Amino acid sequence: MKKLVLILVAVSLSLACMAKTSDKKTKEWLYDIECAGVGAQGTYLVKVYSYSNVQSKAQKQAVKNAVHGVLFKGVMGKGRECNSQRPLVKSDVASQHEDFFKNFFAEGGEYAKYASATGAPETSKVGSQYKVGVVVSVQKDQLRRDLEEAGIIKGLSSGF
Amino acid sequence: MKRILIFVTSLLVAVSAMAESHAAKPTLMVVPSDAWCNENGYMQEFDNQGTVELIPDYKKALQSDQNLMLAISKINEMMADRGFPLKDLESNLKSISNRTAEMNMTTSKSGSTIAQSPMDMLKNTAKADIIIQLGWSVTSNGPKQTLTYILRGLDSYTDKQIAGASGSGAPSMSADVPVLLEEAVMDKMDEFAGRLDDYFNDLFSNGREGVFEIRVFDNGSGIDLESEYNGMELSEIIDDWMNQNTVEHRYSQSEASENYMLFEQVRMPLNDVNGKAVTAKSFADQLRKYLKNTFQIESKTANRGLGRAYLIIGEK
Repeated sequence: MKKLVLILVAVSLSLACMAKTSDKKTKEWLYDIECAGVGAQGTYLVKVYSYSNVQSKAQKQAVKNAVHGVLFKGVMGKGRECNSQRPLVKSDVASQHEDFFKNFFAEGGEYAKYASATGAPETSKVGSQYKVGVVVSVQKDQLRRDLEEAGIIKGLSSGF
Repeated sequence: MKRILIFVTSLLVAVSAMAESHAAKPTLMVVPSDAWCNENGYMQEFDNQGTVELIPDYKKALQSDQNLMLAISKINEMMADRGFPLKDLESNLKSISNRTAEMNMTTSKSGSTIAQSPMDMLKNTAKADIIIQLGWSVTSNGPKQTLTYILRGLDSYTDKQIAGASGSGAPSMSADVPVLLEEAVMDKMDEFAGRLDDYFNDLFSNGREGVFEIRVFDNGSGIDLESEYNGMELSEIIDDWMNQNTVEHRYSQSEASENYMLFEQVRMPLNDVNGKAVTAKSFADQLRKYLKNTFQIESKTANRGLGRAYLIIGEK
């Protein structure tokens, strides 16, 4: 019985530790993002490769990473299939509104309403961690409009 | 107390003037590119003083090509979503046609028609400050079709390309041209809007770019650009005025003779001291007033949209 308790404690501790590492990876924004085709009007269809020790965490991280990528990194093109896209937010704007984006990407934050994962994730093992590719549809037009309304980014017609 | 009231009132007036100072919004219009019109047979002959020239026939293109309407409508929709609705080419052509018909039919009780100068007639064409030229072509390789798409934003006055997006889509066996075209517009429009945004940012930082032509009326008054005032030639006076009134003294004098001066890459401020939007015409009017008030020289100004103006010296 004592042994079983010890094993259970050890397993839960290691799982917690792995989950923490996954969160850390998300916080460090370790991911790759590329387009995955032309999405429906107002959306980007992107493929995000997230790095995680826990496979199950990947899908959740992928959505957060996809929104982050569309906002700050931009989307890499994929041959003739789809075009590269610029980030919606310029780097100086990101640092000016650090608190806004901290809340935006917090657990249960607003980011989740702008993206959804589609299809089954693709998993491969890279060293000690998993590289999980998930196709995500990001509602970039709605995201841009909301950020414009919040005064975070300026619209194309602002100033006129 | 009275002083405080006056101070507060003037402060409020100044703040509201600042808050309302917006730059004049450029107009944008999508038109099929000349190359696309030529390739698809939508050209018309135009007699330019004895020389036959080919010009695009937009009306025929719009009436005959459904894909063109689809692409223009999609681009209009996406730009409107960004708060930048475009002038519609088809509506613009219709309104020109209606306006011309109305003008021709309107007479006074004594039978006089509406006065129209040759300049008025010349200006009566579909125009916008920024013309977005659209073109595409489809190449087939066996059962596969590939669409190549070009979108170019051109400043009507400086003739510079200010934004662009182009490329070929993935070869497709199943999708037809309208689907490939719609995909291309959706895929490339954000890149185009991003470049347009860069152009607008440059405009806000460095002023609107314009072209100014100075000409002289051949009316026997004896005034030309080499006439001297206070020991300076008129061309030098105008050049000095440009230097003092452009943003960071940015302009270039491309051509100069006793009858003609051409200023290009002239950076005009977006707003004047009262917060009013500056256009090429109002900028040229400032020069006209300066010449009139300081040297008693009469001149006339005319414009072509927001970014090109003429100042003709000698009389009104």
